[in-house]
Amino acid sequence: MTQTHAQASSAPVSASVPMLQLKVKVLRFDPEKDKKAYWTTYDVEAQAGDRVLDVINHIKWYLEPSLTFRRSCMHGICGSDAMLINGRNRLACKTLVRDVAKSGGTITVEPIRGLKVEKDLLVDMEPFFDSYKAIMPYFINESPAPAAERIQSEEEAERMAHSSNCILCACCTTSCPIFWVNGSYLGPAAIVQAHRFIFDTRDEATQQRLGIMNQNTGVWRCRTAYNCTEACPRDIPITQLIEEVKRAVMYGQA
Amino acid sequence: MYRGREGQWAFLLHRLSGLAILLYLMLHVFSIGSFIFGERFYMAIHETYDLWPFRIGLLFVTAGVVYHAFNGLRIIVMDFTGFGVAYQRQMWYGVMAISLLAFVGAAWVVMPRILGGY
Repeated sequence: MTQTHAQASSAPVSASVPMLQLKVKVLRFDPEKDKKAYWTTYDVEAQAGDRVLDVINHIKWYLEPSLTFRRSCMHGICGSDAMLINGRNRLACKTLVRDVAKSGGTITVEPIRGLKVEKDLLVDMEPFFDSYKAIMPYFINESPAPAAERIQSEEEAERMAHSSNCILCACCTTSCPIFWVNGSYLGPAAIVQAHRFIFDTRDEATQQRLGIMNQNTGVWRCRTAYNCTEACPRDIPITQLIEEVKRAVMYGQA
Repeated sequence: MYRGREGQWAFLLHRLSGLAILLYLMLHVFSIGSFIFGERFYMAIHETYDLWPFRIGLLFVTAGVVYHAFNGLRIIVMDFTGFGVAYQRQMWYGVMAISLLAFVGAAWVVMPRILGGY
């Protein structure tokens, strides 16, 4: 898509790769100048195999230096670049152009919803991390540690295999219709994190976490809209995990 | 509008049908209870209900109640079994089919009253 890309890859290959003509619609907002967010469209040339993040970087580097967004590792691990791309929450660095647009098509990019927009695509993540802190996201075991390790069976490890995949990108929480209207709901990400410790056989604070989940900001606010499960870039079956926590709270066991 | 899939629309329809049923129930209680203000008042309300927009509304009330009931069963299955979460999408299409049938069935019964206007 960009000159830099053409130079980075070997010349004959990049010459043969067809370029897509894209219109990239970005919802922009500068708190110092604008009262309301507004759409701006940029014309960008990209390869089908480019990531949406490459396209946004191109806009920032060559077209609009003031465009503000988060990105760090650019490989789907740090969870910084969650955005609302073509109407769905995705990580910009894990979304290929060919999966969201054809040549001549439009890609829309908005900030994730339900959190305050600081500037352009950058939102205030503090409320999200407050919810994360609320479920005590750390290992609690007051019994004296054994000489070697705290042993888990494979089956026991499997119980928390999905929930320990979370990268806290907020794709799920900000896709939740309940979270949009009720910011006090802890949200899918916090519940997934709670699940990771509740179903950890080595952890001893299960009852406390189930208590937190049982509060009116907890797991019962989930109305099973499945947006979180569709949005998760780590393919965590979030709704299924939330339902497991609901049952654990109800049966008082984990 | 967020491009969610079936689950999002199932949730939204459930909420809307729930509110619609609540509204219908309040209206129903009021219009039946209006008899305490006398027969003329009661009849005036009920003759208004004979107008065709209310007849058509009846079809949506029927479909709404059936949707809310069967989607409620879908939610119970999801809450209590892993199977329910895995097949929620298929179950929702089933719920929609049943609701549509209820709508068509009610339309079949009520149609003469809409057309005849009695």
